[in-house]
Amino acid sequence: MSGAAVDVPLVDDAAESARRQDDLVLLTTPAIRARRHPRAIAGMWAWQTVLALLVGWPAAGLAHAAWSGDAHGDAPLWAPGGHALADWLWRDQHALTELSHGAALVLVVGAVAGLVPVAALLVALAYATRDRLPPGFTRCMAEGFRAFRPMIVLLAMATLLQALTLAAGALVAGGVEHATHGWLGEARAQQLEALVFLVFLAAVSFVGVAHDLGRAAVVRFGVGGIRGFALGARTLRLYPVSTWWSWAWRALASLAPVLAVAAVAGRIGGEGGVALVFLGVMHQAVVGARVALRASWLARALRGVDGTLRRVP
Amino acid sequence: MMPPPVRLPPVGLVGLVAVALGLVSLGALGVPTRAAAPGVPAPATAPTPVEEVPAPGPEAVARAVGPAFDDDAALPAHADDVVDYTLRASLDPVAHTVHGEGTIAWRNTSTQPARELWVHLYLNAFKNQRSAFFRESVGGRGSAAPEDWGWIDVRSMVLRSGDGAPVDVWPSAELHRPGDDDETDARVPLPRAVAPGETVQLDVVFDDKLPIVVERTGYRGRYHMVGQWFPKIARLEPDGTWAHFPFHHLAEFYADYGTYDVTLDVPAAYTIGATGPLVDWRVADGRRVERHRQADVHDFAWTAWDAWQTMRETIDGVDVTLLHPPGFTRLARRELATLRFALPYYSAHYGRYPYAALTVVHPQEDAGESGGMEYPTLITTGGSWMTPPGVLAPEIVTIHEMGHQWFYGLVGTNELAWPFLDEGLNQFAEQDGMAKWRGPGSALELLGLSVGDAALDAVDGNVGVHDEPVAQAASAFTTGANYGRLVYARTASVMETLRRVYGDEPVLRALGRYARRYRFQHPVPEDLLVVFGEVLGPKVEATLRTALFEKGWVDYAVEGAWSRKAPRAAGVFDRKGTRERVEPGTRGEGGWDNSVLVRRRGTLSFPVDVVMTMADGTTRLERWDGDGDAKRFSWHGPTALLACTVDPEDRVIVDGNLENNRATTEGHGGSGSRTLERATYWMQLALQAVSP
Repeated sequence: MSGAAVDVPLVDDAAESARRQDDLVLLTTPAIRARRHPRAIAGMWAWQTVLALLVGWPAAGLAHAAWSGDAHGDAPLWAPGGHALADWLWRDQHALTELSHGAALVLVVGAVAGLVPVAALLVALAYATRDRLPPGFTRCMAEGFRAFRPMIVLLAMATLLQALTLAAGALVAGGVEHATHGWLGEARAQQLEALVFLVFLAAVSFVGVAHDLGRAAVVRFGVGGIRGFALGARTLRLYPVSTWWSWAWRALASLAPVLAVAAVAGRIGGEGGVALVFLGVMHQAVVGARVALRASWLARALRGVDGTLRRVP
Repeated sequence: MMPPPVRLPPVGLVGLVAVALGLVSLGALGVPTRAAAPGVPAPATAPTPVEEVPAPGPEAVARAVGPAFDDDAALPAHADDVVDYTLRASLDPVAHTVHGEGTIAWRNTSTQPARELWVHLYLNAFKNQRSAFFRESVGGRGSAAPEDWGWIDVRSMVLRSGDGAPVDVWPSAELHRPGDDDETDARVPLPRAVAPGETVQLDVVFDDKLPIVVERTGYRGRYHMVGQWFPKIARLEPDGTWAHFPFHHLAEFYADYGTYDVTLDVPAAYTIGATGPLVDWRVADGRRVERHRQADVHDFAWTAWDAWQTMRETIDGVDVTLLHPPGFTRLARRELATLRFALPYYSAHYGRYPYAALTVVHPQEDAGESGGMEYPTLITTGGSWMTPPGVLAPEIVTIHEMGHQWFYGLVGTNELAWPFLDEGLNQFAEQDGMAKWRGPGSALELLGLSVGDAALDAVDGNVGVHDEPVAQAASAFTTGANYGRLVYARTASVMETLRRVYGDEPVLRALGRYARRYRFQHPVPEDLLVVFGEVLGPKVEATLRTALFEKGWVDYAVEGAWSRKAPRAAGVFDRKGTRERVEPGTRGEGGWDNSVLVRRRGTLSFPVDVVMTMADGTTRLERWDGDGDAKRFSWHGPTALLACTVDPEDRVIVDGNLENNRATTEGHGGSGSRTLERATYWMQLALQAVSP
């Protein structure tokens, strides 16, 4: 995460100067921009890619073991019609089931261990070295490890809140569907159920936004998890619409490339050669774009908690 | 009949997309199409004049062999009219009861006097857990005991014939066998024998209590789907034996053709869908009374609900009425689009659809047990209103149930004895139709993944192939899962293999010839085999017989592919005017010795292509007739062999193991790069979804 000097102002406010950590200095609020940290974004992409390869590589090994007899390797698996794929999924179901268990483990580990690179990304976004350079990879990771404890407290709190909200949503929405099924009919009742559930999903997203704001506070101000969550919640309470929308439009925008590439992937085929390379490049561009949008939101979260702190007496 | 329709998970990307689509439709869709006085819907079907045509006798039905039945010219206009039902049924939608009465006119078409009648009372399958239906714990659809039981009580059955006085024969009816509580197959002794060719009339009065929706019939709230609801005479075979049987869990039905003239009486606010076109209707005293009449059919089913919404369209000359719940308009449009393709396609290949009407009933998901079912001129479909466009389950269910109009409806096979003749052939017709209409992604076309209907059946059909034969009675299958895999999937995959190996035209011609030639004729498996032998030859007939009756299976495998640099041939050669001596073992300049060994394991045999890929990028195609256990291809050439694939076009989709269909020479195996690319990408997206 090291790189060229960044021409950004550093904070000179006395109060914030007090929060300087060693050789790192806080960037001023307007200077916190994700676009100035492509290497940090690339680092986040690399982290996700390495984790994904922990599953992708064994999957490819299984496919290779089954289809190495074909001059084109596993190309038949992905031919239109899906006969070979369906046959493989059934024939090697035990191995694939084990693989799916491995994938689940990677997801859980990724969700917890991923707190470190996220914190590192936040450090890269929020700080600079005294010689106005972005903090290096080692330094960011060290700060990321330091933030792990408050971050996991935050994760536990947010996950609990979100799970409770979802459970309540399922209960209420299911009750609404049950109560209206008779006179509205199945489709209308289920649509109403979805609407009610969407309200709860919105609430879940608010918790998620507060969670990210809390993470920003943890990294920006070095506070604990509970204090960070309180700051995040306060930021959201002060600017609920603008803050939530800042997250929401990026979340929605990150769906667009996934759907767009899915729509054309079938036509590209990706059975091998140039088409496969092209498909791979497109897929990684999608992943990279989503990481960039996420980084952009985290930068916004950092700016948000900065503003809140200034309002706190 | 189909397994229950696909239900989507409530969460996940697919679900979210579906929810989004559903929300789009929230305000705009589901506009009621009923147009009548407030609270009084117009009939679901438009009245159609009744064509009174005298039914021909059995001798008039041609059973000619050969190409005469490759088109519709020789199609019989009507079935032999054996049994006519003239019934009146009144629905109490609160008590969920039907009071029925009317007349059954039955003719003895056998060569033997009939001294008894066998009457099917299939609604009694849901009377208690001692019925044959619930005793057969084979799993599958309809296994759970209904929350509310159903039954049929026959009050009287008065025999009127000749000059004799009317006699109520029901008091002497034997509802069940000693020690058996099943009451679905009643024996009714007759006071005198009914002579061959003689017609008797039976005046019947009966009361139904409908179960909560279970296995094709019942109610859910005010929704009513009424099937297997009247006392139905079993079929008397020409030799004088009765084809009677209780309602088995996995079995469907078998009956004679006749004319059903049924008057239905429901509350005025209810909309009716029924077998046959509407010929008369009126609304009076708060009741809607509709008369539906259909000749040349062997069953009658109907539905009544005050929430039905109606779509109508004439497709290929057939008046199609689609009944769907509010909010299902988008799905109903998809089903109509399916019929726009399927009705003309099936008529062209399997003989003209002979009826004036077709009613499609799409029940709600909470009544899904009544979905995915076929009756003459009435089918039920299914599926959630939020099914995404790329998930083609509604289209598949629609085309499948419509196809049953041919494969069971118009041929009238015994669905208990030979279920593959209806479900299996129909499943193939479904696969073929869906593939012709939607291409390789005929089951799923979503997020860059395309999966064909035939592919899923091919894999499923291979699972149970060694367990039991395809061609056996429905009640003989050991599990519902095997019934589904073998009767539906395996039969279809065998037929699809024939189509891919021997060509689209001859296989569809053979099936069309069978369907036309045995229209209204109650064919048996031998009839199918003979027709396939006629069109495709004795080898195909034998293959089909083995596949259906003898658990036939096949696995083509490339045992090995070898290529080695050949030593120069030794000896003395006179070439270009000079004599050259080559010592044994001299290497180089000798080209390559290439060899491939292909095996066929199993009892089925199909001709297959064997493709060899050479080092210079060229390919060498060999055709193996599939006879024998193995075939070696050896040749000497200038180029080394890289790989060999048997059946590269995936024609033999019943192949038991696709993974051994290819081999490479040492060191030339392909990579798993495509799987690596996709699995990594999907995992990255999953990580982004759950990771911070």
